[in-house]
Amino acid sequence: MSTVLEQCERIARDEGLAAGLAAALSGTEVTAAAPGSYAAVPASDVPEGAEVRTHSLANREEIVFLACPGERPAADYTLAEIGRLLAAVRIGTVRRLLDEAVAYLSERTVGDEPLIRKQLITGTVGDVAAELEMARAYASNPLSPEALADLHTKLDDLGWQVTQLFGASGYIADHPVRALYVSALVANTWIDRKGAA
Amino acid sequence: MIELDERLRAVRDDCRDAVEDMRARALPIDADPDDMEQHFNSPVYTMIRLSNTPPEYRESVAGGYRLMKAKSVLEDIVGMVELARGDMSTMFACPCPALAGVYVSLLGNPAQQEKFYTRLHGGRTWTFFAMSEPGHGSDATNMQTRLEKDGNGGYLMYGAKRYIGHGARGGIGLVFARTGRSALSIRAAMVEVPSEGWSAQRLNTVGLRGAYLSELQFDGVPVAADMLLGEHLPVTRRGIWGAVKTLNNMRIQISASAVGTAMAITEYVAEHRKNAPGVDLALARAEAGKQLIFQAAAKLDADPERGYFASASKLSAVRMAQQTAQWAITSIGPAGLIEHPLLEKWTRDVRAFEFMDGTSNIQRLHVARGYQSGDADG
Repeated sequence: MSTVLEQCERIARDEGLAAGLAAALSGTEVTAAAPGSYAAVPASDVPEGAEVRTHSLANREEIVFLACPGERPAADYTLAEIGRLLAAVRIGTVRRLLDEAVAYLSERTVGDEPLIRKQLITGTVGDVAAELEMARAYASNPLSPEALADLHTKLDDLGWQVTQLFGASGYIADHPVRALYVSALVANTWIDRKGAA
Repeated sequence: MIELDERLRAVRDDCRDAVEDMRARALPIDADPDDMEQHFNSPVYTMIRLSNTPPEYRESVAGGYRLMKAKSVLEDIVGMVELARGDMSTMFACPCPALAGVYVSLLGNPAQQEKFYTRLHGGRTWTFFAMSEPGHGSDATNMQTRLEKDGNGGYLMYGAKRYIGHGARGGIGLVFARTGRSALSIRAAMVEVPSEGWSAQRLNTVGLRGAYLSELQFDGVPVAADMLLGEHLPVTRRGIWGAVKTLNNMRIQISASAVGTAMAITEYVAEHRKNAPGVDLALARAEAGKQLIFQAAAKLDADPERGYFASASKLSAVRMAQQTAQWAITSIGPAGLIEHPLLEKWTRDVRAFEFMDGTSNIQRLHVARGYQSGDADG
């Protein structure tokens, strides 16, 4: 499993969110496994004629939401494993954008000093990097539904912290940072967190 | 504790009546912020526009509106929270004086005020307040946009702005630029569009699309000398001084936007997921946020130049609203954001408040400086 987790993280970091999602869902019968009425899938994997909902940001990441009609399955081993693989994908996505944020912050200056040297910024980069290590360790073992929900909520927060590093560019839909918004949307369809609130 | 008096309760109730109407407009504006024909001159937009306009410059319209007098920041904020409970993006999409109006009323001479406010009659003209620049954000002291003398008593403006609400569709507004090197040389110029040398594009944002954030370029935009605001005031009160007061006001408005959106999110979850854990807590936090911004507004009415409470309220109210959005995502259930597009939109909109009028890191610096100066006790 750890090799598969590493692969999912690497693919998301190198090739993007949709590629990572494809790896995490490889071999999964989506409409049978998903916990909700829609499930995020790579647009390229949608069967012809299937009902989907689209989202303006997810479209740009080539991800759509496949309708999953009927009674939804109770949380089971398969869903828990998808949840861990998806966590690895999201870790890879945060890494991808953190790398980009560090490059951006090293170039942009305020008062002749790169932003990356401002203590509040450095602190965020340090926090995110440390929390990523913790998240990877968290995902490395089988998790209860409650722990899985906790892990993905932490990843939502890490994504938001990285988003803020870009300043207002972090709110532009054409910016690569949109992958972090879509990552949270993807998790909302695959992780049942109702009981974790 | 701020208790609302009869007048403030009336303002709150009038705006509360608009909540459902604004929510009904929210998703169409998010999907296509250019398609505004169906919203122009709606009763709620007329009410917002007229309330935002000083009485002497209001056009007469049928309808018998009981208008906010906006005599105080507090009155403005009491109404704003309710309108944000409706939908903040719909509020931002309304053609009205908005932030530029706050500044024009503060620093504009009568002729400039008349020009500005009468241009907005009819409810189809947006305004802009152009301060942030690419590469400098809201750091006004490093502003690069400049006004060069044209040799005939006027100026030509050169430079660029970014993240400017309604910049690409506004008809009149303010652009901040410098006439020299010192901080005192930064001035606000009133500009009417279309204009020679002016180009603008809308930015495609993650949410809050009604704000129509834009980027602007100026390549010799003519500015007549009498279009610089504050000429009748002492040199120290012409440019940045007014901007600081306006931004303090705006920070509380953004805080109100965040609190209202948090309330909307919480009410939505409570309605669509009965017995969701955490509803009471989320409501209690939003109520605390409301009380905080009321107090900050009252403080700003007492001393418009003191920004400690405005920054503290923005920092904490925006964080509270984001936590509420995160709680909603966990509470609404799997695929809940796909099934509930209005809730999903609000979880995107609420992120915008982080980036408007100073990020949380900027507010942290303001708050820490104010605290060290003793502002927390005054």
